[in-house]
Amino acid sequence: MKKKPLQLLMIMLLILSAFLAACSSDSSSENENETGGETTDGEEGSEEGASGGTLTYGFESAPEGLFNPAFYGIVTDADVIDLFDEALFTYDENLQPEPGIASWETEDNKVFTFKFEQGVMWHDGVELTVEDWVFALETIAHPDYDGSRYANVQTIEGAPAFREGEADSISGLNVIDEYTLEITFDEARVNNLVNVWSYPMSRAQFEGIEVADMSASEQVRQNPVGLGAFKVENIVPGESIELVKFEDYWRGEPKLDGINIRVLDSSTVVGALGQGDIDMISLAPVNGEEVEALDNVELVTYPGLSYYYVGFKLGTFNSETNEITEDKEKYADPNLRKAMAHAINRQEWIDAFFFGYGSPVDGPVPSSHWIAADSADLSTYAYDPEKAKELLAEAGYEDVNGDGFVEDPNGDEFVAKFSHYQTTNPTFETRAQAIVQYWQEVGIQAEVEMTEVNLYYDMVEKDDPAIETFFGGWSTGADPDPTGLWGSDQIWNYPRYKNEESDKLLADALNIEVVGDDEEARAEIYKEWQQLISEDIPMIFIAELQEIAALSSRVENVTYDVSGPNLPYEWSVKE
Amino acid sequence: MLKYTIRRIIGMIPMLLLISIVVFLLAKAMPGDSLSGEIDPNNTNPEYIAEMREKLGYNDPLPVQYFDWVKGFVQGDFGKSTRYKMPVSDLIMERIPNTVFLGVSSLLITYILAFSMGIFAGRKPYTIGDHVIGGLNYLGLAIPSFIAGVFAIYIFSFNLGWTPYAGSVEVGLQEGTLDYWLSRIHHVIMPAIVLGALATASYTQFLRNDIIENSRKDFVRTARAKGTATSKIYNVHILRNSIIPLITFLGFDIATIISGAIITETIFTYPGIGQLFLNSVTTNDYPTMMAITMLLSLLTLVGNLIADILYGVVDPRIRLD
Repeated sequence: MKKKPLQLLMIMLLILSAFLAACSSDSSSENENETGGETTDGEEGSEEGASGGTLTYGFESAPEGLFNPAFYGIVTDADVIDLFDEALFTYDENLQPEPGIASWETEDNKVFTFKFEQGVMWHDGVELTVEDWVFALETIAHPDYDGSRYANVQTIEGAPAFREGEADSISGLNVIDEYTLEITFDEARVNNLVNVWSYPMSRAQFEGIEVADMSASEQVRQNPVGLGAFKVENIVPGESIELVKFEDYWRGEPKLDGINIRVLDSSTVVGALGQGDIDMISLAPVNGEEVEALDNVELVTYPGLSYYYVGFKLGTFNSETNEITEDKEKYADPNLRKAMAHAINRQEWIDAFFFGYGSPVDGPVPSSHWIAADSADLSTYAYDPEKAKELLAEAGYEDVNGDGFVEDPNGDEFVAKFSHYQTTNPTFETRAQAIVQYWQEVGIQAEVEMTEVNLYYDMVEKDDPAIETFFGGWSTGADPDPTGLWGSDQIWNYPRYKNEESDKLLADALNIEVVGDDEEARAEIYKEWQQLISEDIPMIFIAELQEIAALSSRVENVTYDVSGPNLPYEWSVKE
Repeated sequence: MLKYTIRRIIGMIPMLLLISIVVFLLAKAMPGDSLSGEIDPNNTNPEYIAEMREKLGYNDPLPVQYFDWVKGFVQGDFGKSTRYKMPVSDLIMERIPNTVFLGVSSLLITYILAFSMGIFAGRKPYTIGDHVIGGLNYLGLAIPSFIAGVFAIYIFSFNLGWTPYAGSVEVGLQEGTLDYWLSRIHHVIMPAIVLGALATASYTQFLRNDIIENSRKDFVRTARAKGTATSKIYNVHILRNSIIPLITFLGFDIATIISGAIITETIFTYPGIGQLFLNSVTTNDYPTMMAITMLLSLLTLVGNLIADILYGVVDPRIRLD
């Protein structure tokens, strides 16, 4: 596909959608004018919430149709699954697991005993037993399984042997009775519980279907069966899904009669909200302002778990030995990196490109996470061009030939190259340009290189010499362990940062003998680790974003926290 | 005629082979592969990606990959979509009804508009009516479909509330009922008008110019001299001759019906082949992308063949053998 026309299209659409929004807002009905605000409070509406009614949930992109937790690939599918299925345990607003269908007990963090609630029903009327969970785990560990969740099963004792075909079952799973399962992990870890796969799969439904055929099966794509508050009634691929309430839902009867999911194009979202055609949708920051102006819609923001950064390539990764060597000299001087960090006005940048729906972040953990260190405890790099110039001078970067830009300590021309990925989003190039301008203002000659997104991550991953400083983003899950992104044997450690102290801290935080099951002790170690990273600054931490959702004024009892919306059975609408 | 057809069909085989090589190589030349987007440390790990690359055969030498693909293709196995994890043929079949429905309705609109406007303008050239039609046509040619689509949604859906702006059918209708079909027609009207009306221009102008040109020819003068009614001259003698250039378009239209309208389908959230194709390109879903490209190439070739045969039917002077 040619890129240019698409970019142009997106620009035109953005302009047009702004125009549409401005026009359509005055036609909307007059309701209480509640805009902004952090999160809605469930108390606000009537205490119980009216029952009945159907809620229309808008999606900006079409689901792929893999409606099973074990097989889905994209977030949109996961959002659908959350409406009709449920994990065995949930996460509270501090991202700590709390018992749901299953509760657990453990003495040593190696052997866990899970107890299921009795009388929990699948949508097809079959009762849930621990066998369904065993079935899910064995499916994922099966050699023909084509999804990506094996990482959540491989820590169970005997799972690798089962996968190799050396065993007929996973030895670490011990079914005690229909409602009790004992799981033995291969070693004691503090995060065994958060890591283990927690969605059962209906054995009755998938009976007789080979694992290899499951992802294409009707049970996944057309008639998925779950444990959640709503059951799937009808799916029209790519455009709508009809869900009706499941009366036997184990937590109690849902308040809504049903939920309709409708897919719409991003250019029609604001208009559709203004007309009251959709009641609920997640928004992109660009639409936030226009939606805030609608008086029949309330905008809700809640903390996200993702952050953006500018990384420095410090070394290379050897994929044969899984080892990192810090062998790139150009950005090896921490003072240079610090100067480049002080040069960037993060607040201004976030306001310009994320419309204020974000805030500067000072470390590798989003601030809403329970292990996040307070900014005061970290080395921070506030916008300070003078400090940046001082640091540059200190590091020996001075303007020798009088062209207005510094040369490196050897007196050679210094040009910082900044790479950013390119998609159809027209703001990417401008925001990359903005970063480069900040650097130029403190005297660092810099240039932008935009690379097509697939190629970009390929180059970053393979340590292509063309990548020097690069833009990226990560989102973290409930499990706080950052080893996958920062360990010195990890391919996703993109800056190729290697520090033995960091490795040791990361290992200690997971080591049951060091921290036991004391969350406080664990958080302390992570704080120490964040201090180390913020001082070493292998990447400049730029921003953490807020998630934005729009709720029409008839929606009640929908609340959000860092783990997402509350459970759908509590949602209601007023007529 | 039969001999000609067979010769043309045989001639297609090397052409298709060449196309398949180009399509395959271009697909492989795209940066990254279908797994390079999956860098989510919460959900997946590098071992999984390496393993899937091996399983999908991305590590095999190119010729091996090519022959594997062609072998499957010839046997009707288009492969399995790497994104949707289902056979590509099922995926395409799922979308084709929507796309064909939209394509046929928009073609119908194009033909009705083009014939009525073209014949009118051709019979009364250089009048105000002709100029208005010409002006409208060039306006239609100048407006890109995404602008027209967004404006149509704004005016007809949001302001007037006449038509829906997303989807191909209302939520919750039983398939096969009358309401279901009415709802489908209701949903297809606007994208079809946007697509159909904008494509009218070239048809109308070709038809108009040909009618004007033919009306000056000797056979028309003869017919007039014999006292044939003017309407008969236009509707029978001239129109039949003037349709020939339109048949050339028809050849391409057959492919267009299937290829769908990428942009219009996206704006109206109308799930069809065009949308699928665009997604498959952005997610590097090779099997889907290559299957759709091959399908479209084949249809273009077949469409041209049909057009060539139709020339002979419409005008027996064009001989094919």
